[in-house]
Amino acid sequence: MGAPAIEVRGLRKSFGDKEAVAGIDLEIAPGSFSGLIGPNGAGKTTSLSMMTGLLRPDAGQVLINGLDAWADPVAAKAIIGVVTADARLFERLSGAEMLEYAGRLRGMPADEARSRAAQLLDVLDLTADSKRLVADYSTGMRKKTSLGCALIHNPAVLFLDEPLEGVDPISADVIRRLLTRFVGSGSTVLFSSHVMELVEQVCDHVSIIDNGEIVASGTTQDVRGGKTLQQAFVDLVGSKASGEGLSWLGSSSS
Amino acid sequence: MARLLVQLKLRLLRNALNSSTAARVSFLVSSYGALIVAIGVFWILCLLRGSSVSVDLTAIIFTGFAVGWLVLPIFAFGLDGTLDPAALAPYPLRTRPLVLGLLAASATGAWPIANVLGLLGVTVGLARGALGLVVAVVAVVLEVLFCIVLARFVTTSMAGLLRSRRGKDLAAFLIIPLVAVYEFFGQVLPRVIADGGITVASLNGVDQWLRWLPPGLAAHAIQDASDGHLGAAVARLGLLAGVVAVLGWLWVRALSHALVTTDASTQSSGVRGAALPLARYGLRGAVAARFWIYQRREPTSLVFWGMTVVITIAVSSGAILGQQRHPGVLLFSAAFGAAQVGYLHANTVGLTGPPFVLEATALTGRRTLRAYFAGQDMVLAAIGVPLLAAVSFGLATVAGRPMWGFLLTAVNLAGLGAALAVSNLLGATSAYPMAKRAGSPMRQAAQGYGGYTFGAVLANAAAVGVAATPLFVIGAFTGAHPAVIPMVGLVLGAAVYGLALAWGGVWIAAREAEGKLPELCQVATASTL
Repeated sequence: MGAPAIEVRGLRKSFGDKEAVAGIDLEIAPGSFSGLIGPNGAGKTTSLSMMTGLLRPDAGQVLINGLDAWADPVAAKAIIGVVTADARLFERLSGAEMLEYAGRLRGMPADEARSRAAQLLDVLDLTADSKRLVADYSTGMRKKTSLGCALIHNPAVLFLDEPLEGVDPISADVIRRLLTRFVGSGSTVLFSSHVMELVEQVCDHVSIIDNGEIVASGTTQDVRGGKTLQQAFVDLVGSKASGEGLSWLGSSSS
Repeated sequence: MARLLVQLKLRLLRNALNSSTAARVSFLVSSYGALIVAIGVFWILCLLRGSSVSVDLTAIIFTGFAVGWLVLPIFAFGLDGTLDPAALAPYPLRTRPLVLGLLAASATGAWPIANVLGLLGVTVGLARGALGLVVAVVAVVLEVLFCIVLARFVTTSMAGLLRSRRGKDLAAFLIIPLVAVYEFFGQVLPRVIADGGITVASLNGVDQWLRWLPPGLAAHAIQDASDGHLGAAVARLGLLAGVVAVLGWLWVRALSHALVTTDASTQSSGVRGAALPLARYGLRGAVAARFWIYQRREPTSLVFWGMTVVITIAVSSGAILGQQRHPGVLLFSAAFGAAQVGYLHANTVGLTGPPFVLEATALTGRRTLRAYFAGQDMVLAAIGVPLLAAVSFGLATVAGRPMWGFLLTAVNLAGLGAALAVSNLLGATSAYPMAKRAGSPMRQAAQGYGGYTFGAVLANAAAVGVAATPLFVIGAFTGAHPAVIPMVGLVLGAAVYGLALAWGGVWIAAREAEGKLPELCQVATASTL
């Protein structure tokens, strides 16, 4: 087995007194479809932001295909694609302009950027809306556009933060098929999600993060340990709600 | 229902007092503003007693209030939850009680009360005798009722649009005429009055057509009653009440429609052409293309340019109007226009917001950062130079000194270079998050960063003042006379000077921004636009 596609060592970040990420270690193999799951506020977005060079860590090291994301950010950024949870798009560009701009920012020639943008719009089922402003796009269309921007330069490693949050089933299927095809070509995907069924279906590697620490990591089968991923996740992270009370709720009382 | 919605309105007002410091300050300032307006309007209306133009001015003031009620709710649409029928649509409410409830809620609060109290000044200023007094009170009540129903009808009819992206764009564009009106009353009108351009006699007959509008009907009904023409007064009040009833009926229809109709927020029009302009010219061209599109499609950008023109013209009024007019004011306004461009674009990362993260992926070193800053400067110069030059030549011509247009354009060019340099430098070293608050279509500094905006104003003013000083001196000694100084040469020299300043700013800003990209990304993602 070669060098990991993503290697994280002792990554740490605090905001004031709050330690958001408490020194995590992670290794993702090349060609892996990997999921990072955890409850709200567990540190998923902070970890992904530090891995992608968007948030400076207090300590630790991030290696992408052997390139140090913080010592050599230029080289590392060139081989990654990032889809953030809140699709960060230029609202006043059309979908086609947005993708072409993303390609141009990656240093692609204009013709090549335009051609790839058209192909991505087609695969993402956005061609009919390619001349509409992003500001008028639905959540699913925005996520798909964001994915197109992250893929236009054919990155070796793709990071996605909640890529299917608020996305309709049809758009989710388009995104899932595209990501599966991307990984099938030997590229690597690391994504965070709340949708356990999706992670269980598509991921060959899962890491569970809670309170800024990785509490489980390995192949999906190992982490599940014979249970559903949902159950394994609840067992590891724990549910705080008791389910008591609300005696009035139900059809028998008013 | 009326009681419930009034309680909701009072709860919203009380919550504003108990929430963040900024919201509390905003609420208190608004309440004090209402108090000042109530006292001020009452006092002004009282002063009209015995004046030959009292009914004309009263009609103008009544109409002014109606226009205010018409325009301001469009801005406050996102601020007042009771204005949006969509918030009430999920509940099983009948339209008529809902209308009465919304009417009562609209009449609740500092501003509606201030309106009634202020306008009651007509009981002193315009009304005479017991009959006049009674009609004045009825007229004021009907006038305020008219204002509320008109505002409700318009906002309910436009609710779908106002909730949509295009409606919010429309609200942003209204800023330009509001700034123009503010500058007109603050800068132009006092000079025209001081110059004798407008006197009390000028107001005679000004309400020839205003008297037939609902606010004019209210004002003239008071005068009719005071003059003993009770029939005419009652007829006018009856007509006004009829207008209110018709508007109320239209409002009920609009509300019934709005409660069961989808909004227009998912409808959109396409853009022409699918390709980015200038995209063949490297990163600088790509950034310039994106920025150029934003200057055309982003309403806030268009508002910035509109404000630059309006305020530059208003500032120059001291050179054109009044006994104390001086051509030197034109030089000041030219510098002011350039500083305005710099100040309004001084926080490029915060103004771009979260999408800057995408651009940051391309900003890999000083060279790319220079391309990034230069690309934006090229667009600002491409718009700013011809715009400011046109304003300068226009003002110089109006001031009767057309040759000063060259000197003013030279000030524009030098000032713009300095302003762009400072704005880039501030953008790299003092970036701060921006926020779009509910009820305001414009972007403002996020809470706690107001000082940065003030600092940007001062820094731009100082930089432009220093950079343009040689041209001020030339203006003072030559009087911009072409026999003394070649004007084309002056403009070209200023262009080179401004370009050098701007280019220097790009270089320094790129050096400062290098190594700070993660922090700049944090500022960008903290912006809520």
